[in-house]
Amino acid sequence: MIEVDRVHKSFGAVRAVQGISFVLQPGQVTGLLGPNGAGKSTTIRMVAGFLAPDRGRISIQGHDTIDDPIKARRLIGYLPESVPTYPEMRVREYLTYRCRLFGLERSVRKKAVDWALERCRVTDVAQRRIGALSKGYRQRVGLASVLVHNPPVLVLDEPTNGLDPTQIGEARSLVLDLARDRTLLISSHILPEIERLCSRVIIVAGGVVRADGPTGGIAGGDRGVLVSVKVSKVGDEARLRGLFASMPFVAAAEPVKSETMALREGFQGWRLLCREGAGDAQELIGAAAFANGLIVRELRTDAASLERVFMRAIETEGSVP
Amino acid sequence: MRTARAIAQRELGAYFRAPAGWIIIAIYLFLTGLVFALSSLTPGQPATLREFFGVAGWLLLPVAPAISMRLLSEEFRSGTIESLLTAPVSGWSLVAGKFMGGMTFLLAMIAPTAVYPLILQFVSDPSPDMGPVLSGYLLLVLMGGLYIALGTLASSLTSNSTLAFLMTFFVILMLLFAGVGGQFVPDWVKPVLFELSVSARASDFAKGIIDLSHVVFFIASASVCVVGAATAVELRRWS
Repeated sequence: MIEVDRVHKSFGAVRAVQGISFVLQPGQVTGLLGPNGAGKSTTIRMVAGFLAPDRGRISIQGHDTIDDPIKARRLIGYLPESVPTYPEMRVREYLTYRCRLFGLERSVRKKAVDWALERCRVTDVAQRRIGALSKGYRQRVGLASVLVHNPPVLVLDEPTNGLDPTQIGEARSLVLDLARDRTLLISSHILPEIERLCSRVIIVAGGVVRADGPTGGIAGGDRGVLVSVKVSKVGDEARLRGLFASMPFVAAAEPVKSETMALREGFQGWRLLCREGAGDAQELIGAAAFANGLIVRELRTDAASLERVFMRAIETEGSVP
Repeated sequence: MRTARAIAQRELGAYFRAPAGWIIIAIYLFLTGLVFALSSLTPGQPATLREFFGVAGWLLLPVAPAISMRLLSEEFRSGTIESLLTAPVSGWSLVAGKFMGGMTFLLAMIAPTAVYPLILQFVSDPSPDMGPVLSGYLLLVLMGGLYIALGTLASSLTSNSTLAFLMTFFVILMLLFAGVGGQFVPDWVKPVLFELSVSARASDFAKGIIDLSHVVFFIASASVCVVGAATAVELRRWS
């Protein structure tokens, strides 16, 4: 369990984190999302005990990271974004060193290292120097190094960074497997990755939490339908806007100004936000468009809804929802 | 303490896995060996290791900062400090481990020179006086300890190991010449400088005198540096 309570951190005049709070339970993978400079890494570093908060408290399984730091850190496996390792060391040797840092007895070290090697599929390179490994392997060695003491809390900063698609798949199933009885906090800026991995999303921007909720819920409450309709002449945008506004099940409508849409000659994309409980949005829009003589080329439920939640959350500068 | 030992062992391994470690040892042994061969082994010269200890001590001026410069700077530069300080390792055991690693390397570098007094014992008649030899080695170890501790402190302040080298080098240089600079400073500073002067204390050891106050000076100042470095590392969390 991770408890973060009204945490603040400033670097000189820069207020990186301004009162972030959340509680993470075991068996849950939580994604920390945010643009660069949002306070993501600072938050993660404070949770891991690398930085001390200026104000507020953080506790790991009930152990405060400031008052009881050694116990708190013993319970965390933290993988920094850069996956720092010692290039001159051999993989097995490095993992054994990590065991020693975490105070594992000599008798259990070999077993712990073998388990971590196996878990992260790096057994075949156990005797190789870390500096001679490919980036994907180094990433997995990094992951093995934070698992070696079998911590109940894992904090991973961009864990799939630098992996190829096959390896990302493997890493994803590893993370989900690990999450069964652990508390996992993952930071990433790859939205589909977070959507696939995390059951909960916390969006931070400007050092504050902008949105926090279950991945499905946070995106689902904002389900949109993407409609691509034929526009016959200039000025049609206003007509379409009026038309959509007159449809009782449409809560909001906005044109999609993307390059791919512009390429489709004569067609314009619209994103419609539908009211809950009005029935199947696609059917309703299709019927309404037909009745109004619109030629519809594409009509689909918008899958990238987390992206929109994210964009909206980080755009509301200064306000805390 | 167990984590400090793990850190010290990793550090020692890192020295011997890079060519730099072996090169430092080779240069040190070559130069001290040359001095030994030219001064003590020459027929007609007195059977002492005075010149050897003089040069061995002076060589620590560039060698000790070279050993200590990357102890912590490299961890800061490469980012490994992040996984070290998020392990259950206090700043104190981290710095203690680093100091022990550097110190063990220094001892490993000095240790082979123990054959010089043995050779002298074998070839010279009358055999050399072992008193100054033992006090000479004690001085080398104490001086080395202070220099490595200074280097650890410098290394804890910057992620640039060249800068750490230069800081250590100049502080040691100042300690060596503290007594000499006496004529340029106001009267009240003179006793302070004299107390800080490493060369003044070293000359006693060379005569075979082991003054407890000198021993305490080296150990106490080295401890201050190590504590300073541990504080500097812990303060990084609060920066």
